Amino acid sequence: MAEQHTRARIVGAGETPYQRHPSTERRTETFIAEAVVAALGDAGIARDEVDGFGVASFSLGPDHAIDLTWKLGMTIRWVMEDTNGGASGINMLQHAIRAIEAGDAETIVLAAGDRMEKREFHLMTDRYNRVARDYMAPLPLNGPNALFAFLTERYGRQHGLEREDFACVPLAQRDWATRNPGAVYRAPMALQDYLDSVPIAPPLTRYDCVPIVSGGDAIVVTTEERAAKLNRPSVGVRAIRSLFNDDHQDGDGVNTGFAKLRDGLWDAAGVRPEDVDAAFIYDDYPVMVLVQLGDLGLIPAMDVKRYLHKTLLEDRFPVNTSGGQLSAGQAGAAGGLHGLVEAVRQLRGEAGERQVDGAELALATGYGMVLYTHGSSHNAAILERVA
Amino acid sequence: MSAPFAVSECRVCGYVAYPPRILCPVCAASDWKRRLTENGIVTELTVRRPVSKRRQLPSGNWLDQEETRLAAVQSDAGVRIVARVPAGVEIGDRVKLTQMASTAIALPGQVVEARPAGDGGSAAAAGGGDGAAAGDGAAADPIVAPLSDYPGRTAS
Ligand SMILES: [Zn+2]
Repeated sequence: MAEQHTRARIVGAGETPYQRHPSTERRTETFIAEAVVAALGDAGIARDEVDGFGVASFSLGPDHAIDLTWKLGMTIRWVMEDTNGGASGINMLQHAIRAIEAGDAETIVLAAGDRMEKREFHLMTDRYNRVARDYMAPLPLNGPNALFAFLTERYGRQHGLEREDFACVPLAQRDWATRNPGAVYRAPMALQDYLDSVPIAPPLTRYDCVPIVSGGDAIVVTTEERAAKLNRPSVGVRAIRSLFNDDHQDGDGVNTGFAKLRDGLWDAAGVRPEDVDAAFIYDDYPVMVLVQLGDLGLIPAMDVKRYLHKTLLEDRFPVNTSGGQLSAGQAGAAGGLHGLVEAVRQLRGEAGERQVDGAELALATGYGMVLYTHGSSHNAAILERVA
Repeated sequence: MSAPFAVSECRVCGYVAYPPRILCPVCAASDWKRRLTENGIVTELTVRRPVSKRRQLPSGNWLDQEETRLAAVQSDAGVRIVARVPAGVEIGDRVKLTQMASTAIALPGQVVEARPAGDGGSAAAAGGGDGAAAGDGAAADPIVAPLSDYPGRTAS
């Protein structure tokens, strides 16, 4: 049942440095625009060659993709705006690939970003959706931490995990972050630092929750033919799968739609989970990293405890080598592209001090959009280095 | 201040929805009735840290400076509910669900509170945010009006 591998390539990636407290003149559009310019520079493609543009942002409004197209001076024949938060990056990539394959566009820039500080974060969660506004905020919930505390508790019970076990995710990612000058948390972290950190919504503490930052991410996608002329390694997409609202929020939130899209994803890619050299997993909370790795088949025999201590912490299997959002920061909707940007850097051998030797094949995921109790949106891509 | 807690039940297949949906995810009907759901079991629990500065959001909701005890409750109707719980309630406890008025005036919002089952339900036991006095107890009816002419409806 294997399908044709996709016929588009990622040829550039860029990130506007993440910032905790940007100056007032740096707006959401500033962060997105800088990421677009950086990604095009990385690709070696001129702005005027771009004929498609997609963007995801929580705070771009009242502007939309077309306003940004105008402000960036582009004339395009394909436009997209994505509202799916943590799933927006791979969602846009899925659409962009099909547009390029169909000839609707040749070179597409996909971008995401937000100016995000405490105030903007609360505004975002307040207008997230009607259920958040009418059912959650009045509790008052104050954002999604409590919901993911429930999921962490539930998953821990199902797999016999304590805080010392969950700690392996932020600890391993922090170790990667010490080699990423772009991460906002770069100081080495010890188990005791994690255990002593401020409770946010127990069992979640500060280091289980992403630092809120402002920033932007972008990638450039084009045809195989155009990619070949750039004389640099590019990134091919072997397969990409999405699944939305598969359980109508009736599931437990820790056995997810990723398990349902898993077989189709690996079959289409023609590879197996054990073939992957690095994984870029949407990490809004440590528990969701484990849920996705497990549901997508990367945790042998679902021995989660062993995977945490041996594979992640001891062997340093490369998961979220930028430090992920847990250490690099979550710049609003840019979180949905952050993993793709890091995957592109690793697969092209341009990840500097944290370069994974022989990174040829990678998994990247997107997850998000809590409708009531847990995320509703799942997607995953199998990426490969093309020399 | 408070009202019995109700969910939506599909008149055709019995699917229970909370919060309400438009079309039934199982049978695609749009014919819902109100179903009272008294009790449930606390499956998970947390105490959310307060925000440093109390302020009102554009929607009218407040960011609360109090820490809030929150629980996931498996209701007897089958659907999982996110509820506010008073001190003393623990995981595994059987609780009575009550619908409270929203903390914001002129919002259709609703707050579910889960108190120990058998408790008389004194206001003091409910704890609650200081904004809870705003608004009337008649929280919005969660029932969505039927879309009688929806063409996609299928019998099942
Ligand atoms: Zn039904």
